[in-house]
Amino acid sequence: MRQLPSLLLLLVLSACVFASSDYHEQLVLKPLHPSLLLASFNFQSKTSWASFEQQNFRYFPRSLGQILQHANTRELHLRFSLGRWDAESWGARPWGGTREGGTGVELWAWVEADTDEEAEGRWLTLTNALSGLFCASLNFIDSTRTTRPVMSFQPAEQYSNSSSENLHLLHGTLPREVVCTENLTPFLKLLPCKGKAGISSLLDGHKLFDASWQSMSIDVTPVCVPGTSECQLQITHTIDMVLDIQRSKRPRDNPIPRPVANEDLKCDTSKPYHSHDTCYPLDTSAQEEDWSLSQIFGHSMKGSCPLANDGTDQVCINVPHARNVFASSGAAEHKDESGYSRCYEVPADQDFELALPQQEISEKVPIEQPLLYAERSFIGYGQERGGVQAILTNPSLIDAVDFVYMESLPWFMKLYLHTLKAKISNGNGKSSKDDVIQEMYYQPALDRKRGTQLEVRILIPANSTVILTYDFEKAILRYTEYPPDANRGFDIAPAVITIGNDISIRTTTLLLPLPTPDFSMPYNVIILTSTVMALGFGSVLNLLVRRFVGVDEAEKWDLRAIRFKVAAMVAALVRKFRRRRDHTE
Amino acid sequence: MKLNNLLQLPFLLTPFLTPAIAEHTSNWAVLVSTSRFWFNYRHLANVLSLYRTVKRLGIPDSQIILMLPDDMACNPRNAFPGTVYSNADRAVDLYGDNIEVDYRGYEVTVENFIRLLTDRVGEEMPRSKRLLTDDRSNILVYMTGHGGNEFLKFQDAEEISAFDLADAFEQMWEKKRYHELLFMIDTCQANTMYSKFYSPNIIATGSSEIDQSSYSHHADNDVGVAVIDRYTYYNLDFLETQVREPSSKKTVGDLFDSYDEAKIHSHPGIRWDLFPGGEEAGRNRLLMDFFGNVQNVEVDNVGNDMEWKEDLLLLGKKIADLKERAEGVDAAQNSTMAPVRDNHASKRIRAAKVATDERWWAKKAVAVLGLAGLSGVWFAGLYLS
Repeated sequence: MRQLPSLLLLLVLSACVFASSDYHEQLVLKPLHPSLLLASFNFQSKTSWASFEQQNFRYFPRSLGQILQHANTRELHLRFSLGRWDAESWGARPWGGTREGGTGVELWAWVEADTDEEAEGRWLTLTNALSGLFCASLNFIDSTRTTRPVMSFQPAEQYSNSSSENLHLLHGTLPREVVCTENLTPFLKLLPCKGKAGISSLLDGHKLFDASWQSMSIDVTPVCVPGTSECQLQITHTIDMVLDIQRSKRPRDNPIPRPVANEDLKCDTSKPYHSHDTCYPLDTSAQEEDWSLSQIFGHSMKGSCPLANDGTDQVCINVPHARNVFASSGAAEHKDESGYSRCYEVPADQDFELALPQQEISEKVPIEQPLLYAERSFIGYGQERGGVQAILTNPSLIDAVDFVYMESLPWFMKLYLHTLKAKISNGNGKSSKDDVIQEMYYQPALDRKRGTQLEVRILIPANSTVILTYDFEKAILRYTEYPPDANRGFDIAPAVITIGNDISIRTTTLLLPLPTPDFSMPYNVIILTSTVMALGFGSVLNLLVRRFVGVDEAEKWDLRAIRFKVAAMVAALVRKFRRRRDHTE
Repeated sequence: MKLNNLLQLPFLLTPFLTPAIAEHTSNWAVLVSTSRFWFNYRHLANVLSLYRTVKRLGIPDSQIILMLPDDMACNPRNAFPGTVYSNADRAVDLYGDNIEVDYRGYEVTVENFIRLLTDRVGEEMPRSKRLLTDDRSNILVYMTGHGGNEFLKFQDAEEISAFDLADAFEQMWEKKRYHELLFMIDTCQANTMYSKFYSPNIIATGSSEIDQSSYSHHADNDVGVAVIDRYTYYNLDFLETQVREPSSKKTVGDLFDSYDEAKIHSHPGIRWDLFPGGEEAGRNRLLMDFFGNVQNVEVDNVGNDMEWKEDLLLLGKKIADLKERAEGVDAAQNSTMAPVRDNHASKRIRAAKVATDERWWAKKAVAVLGLAGLSGVWFAGLYLS
């Protein structure tokens, strides 16, 4: 009976802990031009540091939490991305680009360790454990693919000096890694509602991996209350995808576009040549496409996640208020004052559907201009050398942009630093010789041990373009170092551009063709060498151990002769022995 | 008393219900496709259909090791994103919404496959990528790809030989990593791949004899390539139509009898001689022993209901003891505030002395005699020639 009050106290305490670990999720839909839809899923939960330490998990996924504890990881960022964000027609990236990675898989983390070796050991533990959890080949992030960025990445929380000394930032990329349903499956299993209810019920691999661009991310960051030592651990899952509305509306069992029947063609009848067999397609750019949640995602949303009850509206859509949007009856609509956004509070127990009819509307949501446009490509020719050119454009007419450009290149792409040049030209087409490179960090590659790391701080004045070029040499790999599909080329990780603390841009990956040998060549060599060896060795061995005799002499050297000799000796012995016995008897 | 008797009934009956020999307590499946590139779509479809079958019959993802060397579902050439079909009717999406691939892409190598089987992996290897079997685990090993006489190609870059595979299975047996093993292989000249096996408790079957090709079943014109191989197709056909639920009593013999050479277009082979009891015993094994997850749990010291009471009593005593000690420590701290010395005496394990062999000299003598004898024979031979 004495234990009852303490038990009650424990219950009250744990209730307090639970109250502080909130969870919310939100889906933001944003139509993009032309006939595309950006869907941003965001799931966020917090847990107190104390309950994390005690493995008292509620919304924080246990499987991930235990890995983080095992590998002494303080902060983790994991990205799975596919496709290219078309900044020129789609504008600025969602979340300022901070929730996306380069094509393939990208991972960076702050690991707590006393020495570099210990940090590398923990990094190895972390990558391997995550490879098991997320069904990705993260274990391929070895020392040649790991860098320690100096200027590009900043921790989410500025730790006190004593603890930041033994925090190691490690960064690795796998640009060749495939992103597919097996990566989405564990991702959904980490969510509190596990894709069964709430906005996560809309996530379907068949749609996600049909997107023009998609990015899945997991961020685990400590969040501290300023002035106190109290810290919380925040986990954010984000999935962003750009879906082609027309493509998504095709039935799943018949996704291949077939010719449209004559009577279904939409023709511009004002054309003079329009007739029953001549059709000029009608210009539909002024018309907004009709679509609904169930058409785009395959099914409607299965209620709201009952755990996400902090009052945030679960679904938002960024369209002008003049656009007609029909939602299911139970949902409450909240219109934003800006005139371009409205949100819906979704009831927990009934399906939610959102439908936008076809509508002719001139008003569009203004596109947010990105701070910087970046593209990168190979220049040069031949099997021996090549070059890289990055074109960085500042579209602003007023503000200069200060950013860090980071490249992590594989060891077999040997950068010549002396060829690194930055050419600046302003909007009038005039080029100037001003030095735009403010600061540089360079770590050369070591063959088969580590890749090249290059970080350049660049300041681009307003309305100018910087063209960054450098040359490199292609190394020749060993026969066994080539992958099975060597002739496809080698993927080079994207360059990471960091502007301040909360904007980042990644270029696309590059495909580097390396000189490849004829892979059947070693077999030819082996066969030829074996033949020569057999001939040479065989004849020498024969000369050494065999005695060559004439055919007529062969009788003497016959094996039978030895046998007869032995037999005769044995017979003689036996006879002798018998005779002696006879004597004794 | 009555209840007690009733409870004991199952235990009395067990000897009659189950054979006395040891049964398996877990089921594992190792499903390997070894072909990269889009035109080998069918090999991944083969493996994924087997994956769906064993999952349907109850083996959980944690006990299935799936190796896919290339990405077919999210391949840019795939007109059906996120799906893999093994039939032109496209009724079943093999990739589905819930799939766990353990080894993929460049990870599918001969080395990784042998390391997986023999469990020679680094300590950082996650559990999901290991074959954590024991001597009571039944394993289904299914392989498909392009092969030849006594070899199977991995990703067009390397190959595993029948000898490597036989040695790997022998090592598994020595390490007590399986109870019974069903080996299935669908490749050209498949039967040569199991011809070198020499470890016990293996049933092996393959799609074609030496100098025979294995053929694909049919192509899907919208996917654009062949979607499944014949041998796998008819295996699946049997498993899907005859083995519909985990309680199925179909046997391995039934499956093998269903092989029709006219349909498969090659001669499927079966190897029984490694299995204890040979063909007769092997034929009677249930298919569910390999494709399903029927677990037989073994309980030690059944019927001793006093034991747990004793354990509980001991535990209670221990708790009381600890509490008393803690209170004592508290009291001591309160009275003296002196630091409490750790009660636990540090135990150190001393290095064990290496046991010396008493008969060292005798062994030496035997060896010398042996050597002398051999050289004697040598000299006799020289003399006689």
